[in-house]
Amino acid sequence: MPTLSTQVLVIGGGATGLGIAWDAALRGLKVILLEQGDLAQGTSGRYHGLLHSGGRYVTSDPHSARDCARENAILRRIIPAAIEDTGGLFVSTPADPPQFADRWLEACGRCNVPAQEITPAQALRREPMLNPRISRAFYVNDASLNSFHLLHALTESVRSSGCQVLLWHQVVALLIARQAVVGARVRPLAQGEEFSILADVVVNATGPWTAAVAALAGLHIPLTLGKGTLIAMASRVVNTVINRCKPPSDGDIIVPVDTVNVLGTTDVPVSSPEQRSIEPWEIDLLLAEGEILIPSLSQYRPLRAWAGIRPLYRPQEVEAINNRSITRGHIILDHAENDSLGGLISVFGGKLTTFRLMAEQTVDLICRRLGIRSPSLTAETPLQPGHRRHYSLPARLTSIESARATGHPDLLCECEVVSKGEVLTALQGGDVAELADLMRDLRLGMGPCQGTFCAYRAAAVLAEVGAGAQTPQQALHAFASERSRGLSPLAWGTTLRQMALQHRVYVDLLHAEVTD
Amino acid sequence: MKHLIVVGAGLTGLFAAALAAARGARVTLVARGRGSLALSHGCIDLWATKSPSRSIRRLRHPHPYALAGGFPRLQSALADFIYLLDRQGIEYHGAPSRNHRLITALGTAHLTALAPFSLAAGDLNRAEPIVVAGFEGFFDFSPHLVASGLQRQGADIQDCLTLPLIELPPGRERFATDLARLFETPEWRRELARSWKPRLTGVRHLALPAVLGLEHNFIVWQELQDLLALTISEIPTLPPSLPGIRLERALRRSLSSAGVQIIEGSRAVGRVDGRSGGQLVSGVVLQTAGGPRLIAADAVILATGGVLNGGLVFHEDGRVQESVFDLPVAHDDDRTRWLGSDPFGSHPYALFGLHVDQHMRPLGANAKPAFENLFAAGSLLAGADRSREGSRQGIDLATAHCAVEAALA
Amino acid sequence: MIPLPTIDACLKCNICTAACPVAAVSDAFPGPKAVGPQAQRFRHPRLQLSERSIALCSGCGVCSRVCPHGVAVADVNIVAKAHYAQQSGVPLRDHIISRPATLARLARPLAGLANLSLRLRPIRQTMELLLGVASEAPLPPFAPRTLRRQLADRCVIADRIPRLPADTIAYFHGCSSQHYEPHIGIMTVHLLEQLGFNVVLPPQTCCGLPLQSNGLLDAARRYARKNAGSLAPVIEAGIPIVGTSTSCTLALKHDYRSILDLRSETFDALAESTFDLFEFLLWRASDRLPRLECQALSARALYHPPCQLRLHGVGTPALEVLQHIPGLEILVSEHECCGVAGTYGLKRERYDTARQVGSPLFQQAQSAEVDFLITDSETCRWWLNAHTGLPAYHPVEVIAMAIGLQVPCPTRNAP
Repeated sequence: MPTLSTQVLVIGGGATGLGIAWDAALRGLKVILLEQGDLAQGTSGRYHGLLHSGGRYVTSDPHSARDCARENAILRRIIPAAIEDTGGLFVSTPADPPQFADRWLEACGRCNVPAQEITPAQALRREPMLNPRISRAFYVNDASLNSFHLLHALTESVRSSGCQVLLWHQVVALLIARQAVVGARVRPLAQGEEFSILADVVVNATGPWTAAVAALAGLHIPLTLGKGTLIAMASRVVNTVINRCKPPSDGDIIVPVDTVNVLGTTDVPVSSPEQRSIEPWEIDLLLAEGEILIPSLSQYRPLRAWAGIRPLYRPQEVEAINNRSITRGHIILDHAENDSLGGLISVFGGKLTTFRLMAEQTVDLICRRLGIRSPSLTAETPLQPGHRRHYSLPARLTSIESARATGHPDLLCECEVVSKGEVLTALQGGDVAELADLMRDLRLGMGPCQGTFCAYRAAAVLAEVGAGAQTPQQALHAFASERSRGLSPLAWGTTLRQMALQHRVYVDLLHAEVTD
Repeated sequence: MKHLIVVGAGLTGLFAAALAAARGARVTLVARGRGSLALSHGCIDLWATKSPSRSIRRLRHPHPYALAGGFPRLQSALADFIYLLDRQGIEYHGAPSRNHRLITALGTAHLTALAPFSLAAGDLNRAEPIVVAGFEGFFDFSPHLVASGLQRQGADIQDCLTLPLIELPPGRERFATDLARLFETPEWRRELARSWKPRLTGVRHLALPAVLGLEHNFIVWQELQDLLALTISEIPTLPPSLPGIRLERALRRSLSSAGVQIIEGSRAVGRVDGRSGGQLVSGVVLQTAGGPRLIAADAVILATGGVLNGGLVFHEDGRVQESVFDLPVAHDDDRTRWLGSDPFGSHPYALFGLHVDQHMRPLGANAKPAFENLFAAGSLLAGADRSREGSRQGIDLATAHCAVEAALA
Repeated sequence: MIPLPTIDACLKCNICTAACPVAAVSDAFPGPKAVGPQAQRFRHPRLQLSERSIALCSGCGVCSRVCPHGVAVADVNIVAKAHYAQQSGVPLRDHIISRPATLARLARPLAGLANLSLRLRPIRQTMELLLGVASEAPLPPFAPRTLRRQLADRCVIADRIPRLPADTIAYFHGCSSQHYEPHIGIMTVHLLEQLGFNVVLPPQTCCGLPLQSNGLLDAARRYARKNAGSLAPVIEAGIPIVGTSTSCTLALKHDYRSILDLRSETFDALAESTFDLFEFLLWRASDRLPRLECQALSARALYHPPCQLRLHGVGTPALEVLQHIPGLEILVSEHECCGVAGTYGLKRERYDTARQVGSPLFQQAQSAEVDFLITDSETCRWWLNAHTGLPAYHPVEVIAMAIGLQVPCPTRNAP
């Protein structure tokens, strides 16, 4: 493969990296973006789905709160298709400090975060499953932001402006010449030989891998990693984002996103971005805290658990007591200034809600370095919603109803309403390397049956079209293994029963082979 | 006449109730819902080795087979089972000395001792060239998956087809039961056979998804074989799985004609006989739509299943509960040790369950029978990894047989 | 207290789909799992939905009964169907057929004429055309005198209830015994009196089930609250409430709480005090049953347990009691549902589906060469009678035959 060259090389295909590529592309820059895995496989796809109103940070991090409030309004304008306007509530439960509510409301005012007090009765009418013993309730502009949808839309926009997004490509070395990073050596993970990309500016937007990528240039970034564990409940118990009215802590939020409710999160220091295993105490804690907000929570089914890794900046002068007191704001490090190494910018921290702002500021810096005068257009340019399907809940029901009326819905995944046609289209798109990619792209297998029925049907499509490097039986096994990672921390009650059903079908009925 | 309550409507419960009724007992079957026969292949797996009888003879306590009386018990249970099903019009083929090698919907081999006639017809031991066919728009069976799996096993796959189904109106998702009902329509299936015939020249053995009829499986199967002039075998699909449903319906018919009282939809809670000094159970209390209703009986057989059907309830804090009498359950109380590493491999939880004595009486805390007249059978029992052993239905039948004889003794 | 209905326990195992009698005959109905636990995840209380297929659910409840995991599939579907009906507008026809008591009160003064006109084909065709009431569907004739009028001496008012003697039973007659089949109520009262009970008819109204089935949940709740109020003194006095209409008693036991979401101690107490007649005989009066002197009935009958009875979760108590009648040979229905499911089969657009659902049962009845059919629910009886031509009796009518109890039935020839 010949050497490629570009103006901007972005490493990392999360919201930050894709946002930077999109912002740069809109300003007419030539961009190549590299992602080592699939879209949404990293931190951007492993969060709770909250589009912050800012309310969460008004007391602990007013600067972030203001950023969130502004960006919230912008994102609602530019990518409405990825946002469900759930609204949010901050509620004081008997377990929360009673005096905090007034302090919090004042802080909202100071940070321009709109918040309106409603009566507990109004809150309960809106969300009947909420703890009836709440004493205060405030309505805020929280919403849910589907990061899968967002990342797909960003990718399509970047690609349609002529720039490249390369998935399954890993950076193995940074190319350095005359005190500057001038490009990167790249290894395609699917197939093909290593190659080089030369760039005027390289942006390191690799989230928890930021320090590792910087280390390729011999640089040290004092980064702390925090693991946040989340649980998706199998269906929606609430349709509004629910926050505890107290200083941010473990397990204090429930977000309705897509078909599920997400309970989040914990915050555990870890030493590597791969350290995503979930401890039983985290699960117990999230469910116990969730029960403070929704007393009947234990009657519902935890559907899957996962962990995302947050990169947190901890320069030596900050002696933080715990991870939560470290800033959630973002950092843009120009290594020319900090380390006298030109051509490399590292950007990390922040949150999904502020990805656009981070991108704008990063590309502003790139333009200054390249001597280009061109303002950011992202705040005014609507993102094409892309080919992602019906995001709002009833829309999916409607689509299947009309499919039933006119022909056959050809559903492979009944839980999440995925048809054979959609799977075939995804397979033709070429970015699908394994069945688990269909799970991320189409939500196939993400529903309550935990892949019991759709995995067989999807493997059948692979067998029919002869796609993939694996045999269909291997693909099936890999899919079940991937799926069971999210299930095993929750293996009791109905979740275990569902696993037992899957086992009964694949082992007793189908005699699927074990490949280990 | 003894009054016996059987709790559970899976293979174990239905068989126990039918057997007890045949032996003259008054039987009440109570079940919260249907058992998992609709999820099963409808065959009787005994042990997944070349010779199940030899493997089972070697088993010792506390394996449920050994506790229930070893191979002789299993033989009696199978004889009763075959007789019962034969009377309901389903002929089971095979013997415990040698397994069939049947084809699964993944193209893997399923070793089983007894299979209903239309599945037994597909025994791979016969080594004749096979054409596998699926149906357009039916996703719960894939001829491509079957063919790719069979090729890896070196089976003689002649072809792999997708056959059209005629005159389907638009509508909804199609399940095996929908197709089975269509195949019960004589005119439809005859026209279908005519339309297929030109595509099947030179085919001697056609393997189809198991959707050839519900109640009239034998007639449908026979007629299609005659019309197409070839051997047809059925391969079980994803649930709802017809061979299991046919077995379930046959057993239910036999209960109905034997006058077994069936109470469905209510959860049963065990009732201990206070006057017996805790030695006896007096029956079960049903949690009905209205209030609780006691059903008194001389003996109770629990056939409530394991984790899948709720006989055992696994809790977040590591407790595993038996759902009717809250009997002690042999288990590991650390929930992180319940699962194995491979989702399709063995899992430690599969071994959890009730310890019983040789009369299938669950043991109490002191390793003595918890009650004189309480019995348990099937997946509720500890000590067997049924999926790995390939022993599920054999254990169900043998332990049910043992429990019924002990309860009526 | 019964648990909240949750869809999360659904394993998608398809056992309900395989058992659903409507999905078995209709390509348009995707089955209880699809419109229930599956679709429920996509429903949003504050957003508009379009889901025509839910309207095909007959509400027979087979799905709930066969579910091994305790999912109240039918409850979820009945509520969703009601919301869809409200959203898309409940037609005039459904307002009418869901108020049997009002209808009967209006028609009674002209009962003879009304009954005659219901038998006239042109009138039925006009009704089908104007209202959408299937012209083939059986509609019951109105009785000239209501049950309460015929048994006025046994009707009690609230403040007499606490002073009633021990062994008193409150009879919940429902609309069918009150307006259409008073002889069944009279037989029930006589039967219970022969067994030594004192029977009273407390104040009561329609159970509200037809309203609930037709999406008129608020109206159904009004009826439910009214019944809970008027029956409260009965419950407080510890008097069991016994009914002969299995769907009315199911409403009192189950639907008020889990479908109409009326959750309180009052409704729990109402549920626990309510019995189907034969359930009561079997569980609370089995020691008195030998008092009945049953004569041999030389007949062959087919017993069909109605869906609504099966949802009580008490099995088939009438069958247990009927088996004591010497000479009576009883075959049992092999089918889940007769198809009519209350008012479902009356609707022009559902009539064919309902008939197809019942067709295997009709065939069983006809080929079994039975003298008559027995089934507890009135709508099933009318429906089975219309489709098989065979007499269809309530079990209490058969007991009455066996013990020689003569109650004239003005709207039908006596058994």
